[in-house]
Amino acid sequence: MIEYSEWIFFISAIFATYVWRFAGVMISHRLEANHPIFEWFTCLAYGIIASLIARTLIIPSGLMAEVPLWHRMIPMIFAFIGFYIFGKRLLVGIVFGETVFILLFVFQ
Amino acid sequence: MKDLDTNIQALLTGIRNAMGVPALLLFSAMTGFGSLAQEQGLSLYISILSTILIWGMPGQVVHVELYGLGAPLIAVVLGVAGANARFMPMTLSMMPILADSPHNRKWNYLFAHFISINTWAEMLHRGKEIRADRKVSYFLGFSITCMIAGVIGVFQGYVLFENMPKMISLCLIFLVPIYFGLIMSNTIHPPYLLAFVLGCLLGAPMHFITPEWGLVLSGIIAGTMAFLLRKWLEGLRNNKAGND
Repeated sequence: MIEYSEWIFFISAIFATYVWRFAGVMISHRLEANHPIFEWFTCLAYGIIASLIARTLIIPSGLMAEVPLWHRMIPMIFAFIGFYIFGKRLLVGIVFGETVFILLFVFQ
Repeated sequence: MKDLDTNIQALLTGIRNAMGVPALLLFSAMTGFGSLAQEQGLSLYISILSTILIWGMPGQVVHVELYGLGAPLIAVVLGVAGANARFMPMTLSMMPILADSPHNRKWNYLFAHFISINTWAEMLHRGKEIRADRKVSYFLGFSITCMIAGVIGVFQGYVLFENMPKMISLCLIFLVPIYFGLIMSNTIHPPYLLAFVLGCLLGAPMHFITPEWGLVLSGIIAGTMAFLLRKWLEGLRNNKAGND
């Protein structure tokens, strides 16, 4: 019985996600490619993803919640500095951020 | 992008471009999910299927956490829907990129399933450089590589996470906000950048107002404000260029 309900919850979660993708395709098929709604929705996507990033950084769950806030914010600032100063290279930004993160963790 | 003469070439280019940071990112993000799923008592099968069939980590996390708490079905459905609602604007805004591809439109309903922040950002940035008839192969190569990396991540997180040194686990988890923060901020279109900045500022406060729909709400406010201000931003940019 417990396993049965596990699957019902799981399948519901699949639909609760796919319905958004389905709606996105359906609406896009009914519009001209240069309709302003596309730009608006791209703005919405940027806004939602940015909120998601801020939330995982500021209000993390699990293991990361044990790390103090400034231990997460300072490395993030360094990641941006590394990325934008050294030619927008992802790997440089990541190395900057992670290095500072490790240093703060070791020398706390 | 180099000329992609055949679909196989486009597929392989997609796979190659995903190998590296994008795949590593999915791997580490899903490591975190795998360990959470294991903690909450979800079976390994469902944990792996969750990555393949839901393919949206915030919703997967909400599903596992609420299920672990014994929440009612309706709460799980609404929670997951709220956490993964971004797929609607993301899918909608990615579709014009595939519009000149010769495939039957109906396939878009399948392709939409493979969209993640990674692949979405990739197609938005590079999609226009790819030949129209090779876009789908490139997209699938890129997305499926990310998905496989995610599945390996779930498996390793589920089985090994507890035995991993804490420092390594933390670095893997921390990779996610760094990576997404960098790729999302790296846009030259002023309204998108404004939406990003406003979203960053609103994300945390809105979570305290409504944990389930905070993301959607702050995203709608940030995105709509940026969209409404786009003409003004354009003017600001032109003025600056004129003064230089």
